[in-house]
Amino acid sequence: MPIATQEWEWEIGSKTSVWNHSLNELWSYRHLLVGLIRRNFILNYQQTVLGPIWILFQPVLTLVTFVVVFHKIAGISTGTLPPVLFYAAGIVLWNFLSDSFTGTASTFKENVQVFSKVYFPRIIMPISVIGTQLLRFAMQLLMFLAIVLYYSITTDLQLQTGLWLLAFPVAILLTAAISLGMGLLFSILTAKYRDMSNLVALGIRLLMFVTPVIYPLAAVPENMRWLVELNPITPVFELFRLSILGEGTLTPVHFIYSLFFTVVLLTGSMLLFNKQGDKLIDVV
Amino acid sequence: MSETVIEIENLYKMYRLGVIGTGSFKQDLQRWWTANVLRKEDPFFQVNHECQHKALPDTIMALQDINLEVKHGEAIGIIGKNGSGKSTLLKIISRIVRPTHGVVRGKGKVSSLLEVGTGFHQELTGRENIYISGYILGMSKPEIKRKFDEIVAFSGVEQFIDTPVKRYSSGMYVRLAFAVAAHLEPDILIVDEVLAVGDADFQKKCLGKMREVSQAEGRTILFVSHSMQAIKNLCDKAVWLNQGKMQAFGPSTTVVNKYLTSTQDAHLLQVWQTPDEAPGNDLVRMRSVELEPQLATPDAPLDIRTPLTVRVQFWNMQEEAVLSIGLHLFTAGGECIFDLPSPAVTCAKGLVEGECTIPGNFLNDGSYYISVIIVRDTSISLYYHEECLRFELEDYRENIQWYGKWWGAVRPQFPIQLRQAEIMIPQEGI
Repeated sequence: MPIATQEWEWEIGSKTSVWNHSLNELWSYRHLLVGLIRRNFILNYQQTVLGPIWILFQPVLTLVTFVVVFHKIAGISTGTLPPVLFYAAGIVLWNFLSDSFTGTASTFKENVQVFSKVYFPRIIMPISVIGTQLLRFAMQLLMFLAIVLYYSITTDLQLQTGLWLLAFPVAILLTAAISLGMGLLFSILTAKYRDMSNLVALGIRLLMFVTPVIYPLAAVPENMRWLVELNPITPVFELFRLSILGEGTLTPVHFIYSLFFTVVLLTGSMLLFNKQGDKLIDVV
Repeated sequence: MSETVIEIENLYKMYRLGVIGTGSFKQDLQRWWTANVLRKEDPFFQVNHECQHKALPDTIMALQDINLEVKHGEAIGIIGKNGSGKSTLLKIISRIVRPTHGVVRGKGKVSSLLEVGTGFHQELTGRENIYISGYILGMSKPEIKRKFDEIVAFSGVEQFIDTPVKRYSSGMYVRLAFAVAAHLEPDILIVDEVLAVGDADFQKKCLGKMREVSQAEGRTILFVSHSMQAIKNLCDKAVWLNQGKMQAFGPSTTVVNKYLTSTQDAHLLQVWQTPDEAPGNDLVRMRSVELEPQLATPDAPLDIRTPLTVRVQFWNMQEEAVLSIGLHLFTAGGECIFDLPSPAVTCAKGLVEGECTIPGNFLNDGSYYISVIIVRDTSISLYYHEECLRFELEDYRENIQWYGKWWGAVRPQFPIQLRQAEIMIPQEGI
């Protein structure tokens, strides 16, 4: 056996590892990440008259619809919270989750052109989608906070104070992590088995109905509650409302269940994404 | 001795053929089971000790047993027909696809230019695209900022830099895209047939830049091209891939010559043993037509410098006749370049032969065919043997820094001169 006298800087073999990027490498692509977030953001509103106003327009319309359909017509309870405030919280967070998920789930399908021509850590792409959605979410959140402010002035709404406010960013982070985790997992599945992309669109729509977006968990009948509680996204939404509006149903066990699910999902799908990413170029 | 920067060992790449449907899910499970649970070799790919591959019927081996070492500062050309695995090899080295077996090791930053305009988006402006495309190709923000003006100047689209690239002409688009790529500073540059796009001017710019990168800056280059002229000029060494296997590796001129000799679609000899089976009629029958290139060395390719000797033999079935032959040379497109009659000779019944040498440095590069006509009494056509010889001439240029297609059906070397006729003396007061 010849002794290896040379120090190789990189090696490409047939085996793909679960963690093949050094943090240094990812860091060196930070400009790409920022550039992509900027690009995605610009592209959404290129050649539109209203531009980024659309980001606010869409949830406002949804809000009006929800108030009319679910509150006025269906008469679904929103607890003690004013319906506008309740739905606004749900819509803003759900939009973030749903858009991030569908955006990342099509990573491979949308980027085959680039992926098959140049190398960079593939994970940059889905992360940039989350980044873009986070930016949009931030703008919608400002609008939501304005509504909250309006209600706290005009009505006797008691806002959450103290340590609970710290849970607010936690809920947002968890939402981002869940949508990235699900998105990565489905980006691999949709690349390989196209059937899955139908499931993504349908699944996310149905998922909304087992998540407390249009109703509080407390309003769910006892015999059906297990179904909603089984959904690991439920505690996140309850936490989100609880941390700012002061109303939500959350037990520590339920929260830990959700946290555990998120960590396992995100780690698992990231590792899978790394391992499968290089192989997928052959089949997409 | 310079150090090795890329080492390719035992590289194989297999692709599955056909549609990926329900069967693939079962196969995936099967592969996963054998590889990860039973810890056996991939059942769909096995290499035995003689390095013989065993590919399943619905798979294709894009690369087989590639071994290569690239030293620092070398420019290596990769040649081969379409589908011979050139691009697959580049993609593996660029980390875009994984090999099925084998390993590539290397040192230094690799940038690959497999396409002009990777990462460009139609809706974005030229400026935004320079940044995004630069980031994707691995440049950093300060690096792009520093070179921004240079990139814009190189592309020549200063005026339109804040216009979305979808409104660019395709030429402007390609120029801008290449300008970004041209300002990469990798240790190893991988370039795939970028010369196929763009006009002659653009190709010249590309090649000029690549020459600069490889020779002046001493970077390592791997370069796929169908232009043998470019390979010979730019590269020290060349690899010839044929159906995924390495057919030859060595000095570029040698490898290119071998490759050209093998690919020439030539029809250089036709012989008929007896008059009965020969084409012709009751008056004359062909015996043979032959084109013999006067090559300097046996393995040299047929290029424009090669003199070509045409020999024709036919049986004359008439008692006494005044015969002559005519050679018609056509371009592949069917345009006649010349019609060359032989002197008329009185021939008895029996075998008649004619010979003609087309000198070297007369025809241009391209494909040609020859037809032979047999004439009696310099006026009556006895037999016309069409398209009996076919040959291709390769390009050859010396001291010419231009790689575009040379014009014309012929490229004769008539005496041509240029001299200074008068020197303009600057006069005062004007």
